[in-house]
Amino acid sequence: MTMFLIKKADVGRIAQELGREYRVYGPMIEKGSGQTFFDRADNVADINLAAPIPSNPPKSVVFPQMERILAYEYDRSKNAVKMEPDYRIEPKALVGLRPCDLAGMLCLDRFFLGQEFVDEVYLNHRKKMFIVTNTCVTPFKQCFCVCTDSGPAATEGFDLNLTDLGDEYLVEAGSEKGAAFAAKLDLIPANDSHLALKKEKVDKSISMFEDIAVDSKAWISRVMNRVTTGFVKEDVWEYIGDQCFECGACTFVCPSCSCFNIADVNNPECAGCADRLRTWDSCSYEGYSRMAGGHNPRKPVEDRRNKRFFCKLSYSQMKKYLRPGCVGCGRCAWVCPGDIGLPNVVTYVRREITR
Amino acid sequence: MLVGLYNVKVSKAGGAVRDRQRKYYCVECYGMNQKPGVCTFCGTGCGHFVGVENNRITRVYPSQNHPISKGRLCVRGWNIHELLDTPERIRKPLVRADGGFKEVSYDEAVGRLVDALKKYPPESIGFLASPRSSNEEHYLLMKLARAAFKTNNISLDSDSGHRASLNVLHAGTGMAGMLGSVEEIRKAEFILVAGIDITRQNPIIGSEIHMAERAGAMVVTLDSRRTQIAKLSKKFLQVKPGANKLAVLALAKTIYDENLSDAAFLSAHTEGFEKFRHAFGLLPDNEVADRTGVPVEEIKAVARDLAKSKSAMVFFSSGISGLDEDTIGYIYNLFLMAGKVGKEGCGVNPVAGLNNLQGGYDMGLAPDLLTGFQSLADAAVTKKFADAWKADVPSAPGTPVYEMLSNQSSKLKALVVVDHDEGIVRYADAIKKLDFVAYVGAFKNPFAEYAHVVLPVATYVQEDATFTNTERRIQFSMKKIEPEDGLLPGWKLYSMIAGKAGQAWKYTKVSEVMDEIARLTPSYAGVSHSKLSTGFGMQWPVDEKNPQGTGRFDVAKAGRKLSFYKVSDVFEVPAAKEQFPFLLMVGKAQHFWHQNNLMKKTHIPMREYNATLMDYPEGYVEICPQSAKEIGVRDRWPVRVVSPHGEMRVAAKVSDDVKPNTAYAPYFVQEMISRFLLGHTEVLRQGEDATIPVRIEKV
Repeated sequence: MTMFLIKKADVGRIAQELGREYRVYGPMIEKGSGQTFFDRADNVADINLAAPIPSNPPKSVVFPQMERILAYEYDRSKNAVKMEPDYRIEPKALVGLRPCDLAGMLCLDRFFLGQEFVDEVYLNHRKKMFIVTNTCVTPFKQCFCVCTDSGPAATEGFDLNLTDLGDEYLVEAGSEKGAAFAAKLDLIPANDSHLALKKEKVDKSISMFEDIAVDSKAWISRVMNRVTTGFVKEDVWEYIGDQCFECGACTFVCPSCSCFNIADVNNPECAGCADRLRTWDSCSYEGYSRMAGGHNPRKPVEDRRNKRFFCKLSYSQMKKYLRPGCVGCGRCAWVCPGDIGLPNVVTYVRREITR
Repeated sequence: MLVGLYNVKVSKAGGAVRDRQRKYYCVECYGMNQKPGVCTFCGTGCGHFVGVENNRITRVYPSQNHPISKGRLCVRGWNIHELLDTPERIRKPLVRADGGFKEVSYDEAVGRLVDALKKYPPESIGFLASPRSSNEEHYLLMKLARAAFKTNNISLDSDSGHRASLNVLHAGTGMAGMLGSVEEIRKAEFILVAGIDITRQNPIIGSEIHMAERAGAMVVTLDSRRTQIAKLSKKFLQVKPGANKLAVLALAKTIYDENLSDAAFLSAHTEGFEKFRHAFGLLPDNEVADRTGVPVEEIKAVARDLAKSKSAMVFFSSGISGLDEDTIGYIYNLFLMAGKVGKEGCGVNPVAGLNNLQGGYDMGLAPDLLTGFQSLADAAVTKKFADAWKADVPSAPGTPVYEMLSNQSSKLKALVVVDHDEGIVRYADAIKKLDFVAYVGAFKNPFAEYAHVVLPVATYVQEDATFTNTERRIQFSMKKIEPEDGLLPGWKLYSMIAGKAGQAWKYTKVSEVMDEIARLTPSYAGVSHSKLSTGFGMQWPVDEKNPQGTGRFDVAKAGRKLSFYKVSDVFEVPAAKEQFPFLLMVGKAQHFWHQNNLMKKTHIPMREYNATLMDYPEGYVEICPQSAKEIGVRDRWPVRVVSPHGEMRVAAKVSDDVKPNTAYAPYFVQEMISRFLLGHTEVLRQGEDATIPVRIEKV
């Protein structure tokens, strides 16, 4: 693997150089509220690698909350329709991605690109992308990536990975594109001793979960077994379903949730013109699984919750993602009005197992 | 390809379709584009960020550090960008011409409006305000009605319940607003949720109550229908429809009989208990179970929980679905005698369903009020306003608009309506008969069909604005995008109308409107846009003594005794009769759809709303499995609902959430409302608390 070192004071050069070829996105702290967003950077100097885990996953870069995917115009007199797909093809660089968020994007890749049908809209968002990950040398309060095999350091899918070694960052290239870019930066080569130092940092980070990541004690593996085999009692799901406010927040903040809705919107100022929009959707909504004719295979709220956790925790879903659907970022616990984020659900299912 | 099935020619070439349409992305744009603001659906006032791209709102994200919402939003809040991006907007001033509408300039439309209103004496003009407008728009509309058109016929759409709450709390404590604070919910040891489906109506307040319950608080729900909060409560008193007041009386009586009231608090801080005590004799223990439908021991246990807790709060509904004033009086009196008013973690808390309902009353949108609940009857107050406005202020109270519309012999001839919230127009026949109707609003609305002049305004993200939530928190919402097509924000439009009506208002920016409000309103005295522009708002009163605002009512600072509210001793529980054996309740159902006018302009919430309509196209009446069996119907089978005043054919919805011989009808299906519920004046008057004895038959 090609490895380099970059002084902390110089690390901003990476985003700056990428800015010549790419539209750069990264974690930034909103000044008024102190909230971290992963967003498009006006000034690449605003990208803050030391910022806490962003409140939003980078999902919206490749899968926006609302986007037009097609514009069309129907001419009634000629019985003809003009259609134009609307793709965002500009090259994008994601700088300072947390490992859990990269794992989430890999799930999205496998959902949108890795199956029988390839999603053209997603493909165009994704194809000219440069990814720079940032190893979490300390965990955050709500993290549990060590339980979902998605951190604290990324192992695949990045072009460059940064690890804070103290005075400098270790820069590891994960792809030929990454190696070629790093070579242009004229950096100091790193050696195995730096790799050993990184391992030390990662091991230390894992050991800190016990004391720092106190919000989430999610013992995932045992629950995966139960969820996969379906041996979770109805009343456990009912207990969870009763607390669901059906807001959709857990799915919207989940780095790996990919469900969407399609809506055609007429343009009142242009007769025959319409925009086809794709918007985020959520399995927590009753209308989401309702079929034409009125049958709803998941009408009760607990059945819809059951579906979500099946997506995140079952082995059958793992076969699709090649990893657990949950990436351990803990955001669902932040945003849930019912206090049934994934770590709590795992606790409730486990409570039943141990009983 | 699918379109081929319909024999439509498809061409990919030809181009420029996208260019003719609205631009979604802006590759050239730079910049972090998350802009902070306040959600404007319900009265909770959650914090959010909206994503701006190319002068459009394309996404929304919760604000993590907001003191109320703490990173949460509900189904409506998570989809507000769909509403703010809708093309279903009113984009041009319109005037009625040749049976249709003609696009004209603001100047011409405003001229028409002013000419029309000037033809009538003040008593023939009415203003119907919207509980969604900003405080600044509220205030200027109020000033316009009074200073320019000399009328006090001004009222808020959705006026039934909240005013009742404010009357009780103002008379009792001097504070015309929620006594407690949402931030203190987790400090309450006991929480009573009375007759409100709070996880649907104000979900984030519901969430706070749920979190408090999980942390150990005794949460008790008092309702006739098993709501979500009922399922999440430690105790649930499922009373007969219409028996809320009796149950509250039974709670108070237990506290009195068992000598559990806070005697020291009562003597030091309250007055008038003797008169309230009189009511206790009206409910012998042996009648409680029969009249409320709940065993007396269950009620007594809850009363003991309330009395022994160190801090206690109660939440009940305000706005269109509110309880009646007498029931609210009983609730307030119960908490006062238990000593749970004006202390940390305590509060008698009316919950406003709409985002600026509280602000509407604060801004004096009532026939008898000026700003900050100052009475129009107080000559000194009226003079203060007249001096500041350099205009006469009519001192005789006006009449609420809906009262005039329902009165056949009313003098109303001309009506100005702002942002009508409901998809259903009440009193449509009376409105059609008016000489002149003007509609002011941002979004397309069926009400505009009745108008002679339509004046568009910018949306709330297109101008700086403040909103006051249900816990009196005045929050600033900054301008995020430019208005399209030269649309005017409300304050500029109202200034233009005033100018044409001969009142020269000299505001150069919207913050000056708030400065004027602050000068004239003691509870807003310390408020300004610059002070509100950082942080997460301030709860009124904001004045010299409380420069940072007032989280909750504090008995130590009250400077007066708290009065027990004068309540009636009438307990008319609607009784089922032989020919009408079911008690039908009316409520919001599923999600609180805001009468669906706004929701119909979204994609996801509209689908959720439609899913219910597709299952039950003509609406439904919810009954329990036992009743369904007796009638001989199953879920979605048609039934006929017959009352003394009318009948309707709807589907049966079979669920365990109602008790035998009670039924529940949602107040959001247009057909049900126009065909059946509008015939029941008690529904319009009392909203959710209304109960109708009916018969349900198999069709």
